[in-house]
Amino acid sequence: MTGTAAIVGGGHADWGKRAATWKDLAQEAGKAAFDDVDGVTPADVEGLFVGAVQPERFAFQSHVAPLAAELLGIDVTKMISRTELACASGQAALRYAWLAIASGQLDVALVLGVEKMNLGDDHVAETQSGMTNVLDREFDGVNGLNAPAFFSMFAQRHMHEYGTTREQLAAVSAKNKGHAANNPYAQFQQQVDVDDVLDSYPVAPPLCLLDCSGITDGAAALVLTSEEKARELTDTAAYVTGSGQSCMASNSINNLPSMSAWPQATVAAEEAYDQAGIDDPVDELDVAEIHDCFSISEVIEYEDLGWVPKGEGGQFIEDGRSELDGDIAVNPRGGLLGCGHPLGATGVSQALEVYKQFTGEVESARQVPDSPETGLIHNLSGSGSVHSVMTLARDPQ
Amino acid sequence: MTGHDTDDGADGPPRKTVSVPDTIELPRLLDFYDLQDADHTRIHEFYDRLREGDLSTTQCGDCGALHFPPRVVCPECTSDDLAYVSLPHEGELFAFGAVRGSGPLGMDTPFVTGVVDLDGVDVQLSARIDGADYDDLAIGDPVALRIVDVDGPADHDRVFYQFAPRGDTA
Repeated sequence: MTGTAAIVGGGHADWGKRAATWKDLAQEAGKAAFDDVDGVTPADVEGLFVGAVQPERFAFQSHVAPLAAELLGIDVTKMISRTELACASGQAALRYAWLAIASGQLDVALVLGVEKMNLGDDHVAETQSGMTNVLDREFDGVNGLNAPAFFSMFAQRHMHEYGTTREQLAAVSAKNKGHAANNPYAQFQQQVDVDDVLDSYPVAPPLCLLDCSGITDGAAALVLTSEEKARELTDTAAYVTGSGQSCMASNSINNLPSMSAWPQATVAAEEAYDQAGIDDPVDELDVAEIHDCFSISEVIEYEDLGWVPKGEGGQFIEDGRSELDGDIAVNPRGGLLGCGHPLGATGVSQALEVYKQFTGEVESARQVPDSPETGLIHNLSGSGSVHSVMTLARDPQ
Repeated sequence: MTGHDTDDGADGPPRKTVSVPDTIELPRLLDFYDLQDADHTRIHEFYDRLREGDLSTTQCGDCGALHFPPRVVCPECTSDDLAYVSLPHEGELFAFGAVRGSGPLGMDTPFVTGVVDLDGVDVQLSARIDGADYDDLAIGDPVALRIVDVDGPADHDRVFYQFAPRGDTA
């Protein structure tokens, strides 16, 4: 490796149930990114990395990275790829772009995450069929379980094994949706409290509707450059200081070692912390965007990212330690619970949020206080088989 | 394109109609159940045995690892010397969840899915839990195998498995 890479800006399409196609969303996010970064145009982009999970299933379109290149007028000269890693595709795209830049292969990349998931209210079953195939379709998907039912079993087991409470889970949703209420591109911009969460429809008990992220159309794009190029472009960037990724040899539910823990989150986090020189993440990280596809996910992640001992994640939220003014401000963007979860776009959006927190460009009501300088992003996929963790810093090491 | 014009285009360019069918036969890949015979899968013995009422899986002849789902290569040692062995037909509920709202294509909701610890072996199965409502179940409940015949568009008899609370399996 010859260096690192830095986020120098980016932007979003509006997220939600959009009257727009996959191609529309890709163009909106690309434009937002180029509008945001002075000094970078499509002609400057040498590498294009697209996170997209099921365009074949949701938009009947494959070979989407070259399609995005055409839509955004990018003549790719160095490297083009599309990553599919289910819900963790966005950070995977960013990780490959980082590796390409850090190894000296290119200086300027566009990382684009796009997902079109809403096929119309009469066609939700078609989207659910696609989601069902993320595990082993022959032996898991055939049982028809969807994501809420799958993650509800993690909530059930975590409550059973550690005494985590329903109220603690609801507090995660209330916090993150509260942040999303101040995020103009978020799908769910309504403030809710713990009682609202507990009173919402028990879609997959113990999880209620407001414990779940949405089915979301959305896109996000960011410009990633070499350290040298970043210094030319801007005074404030988000430099990648560490990146870890881990996948266990079990994607099917039939082979999960636990339904209350994600050991791979620990492996990926320790790798990233080691690269970044982080000894005490709770003390050293100012802001984190972690994968709260369901409220229980965030509680497990407090533990398995190494912030609290196993079983104490519920107490972490109850004590307010993940609030904006807590020990680590977690999901000031609004998380997946508030922003929705357009699969391939989420990881890109998480990274962009940390950059925007560094530059102070987010809405003041969700700005992490005291000028955050260090951040973390975390993306998981499938049965929790894959976890990616990246650390970022406002100043290069 | 010109052979089927439906308008002479007097007020503009010629136009025609292209028809899209309202319904089509279920596309092969939207049928969640695999084709299970020897012409289509190398784990057909698993399905053959299940059709006869026996839940089974593969065990490695070299390292002894017991797999589930059945394999053609041992993920522990890469041996392909595998043999089918019967599994217990009873177990306990390790976890379970309800699918409400919209399920996948062709699946009526609500229903319950779960994870079953089979008695006496180190195998955990993902399975539909039949014969009980979510609210009537608890972690640790005893459950037993139920064979499900699949009535659908294939030219051979297909089969799958579910579990149900013990005592409810006639």
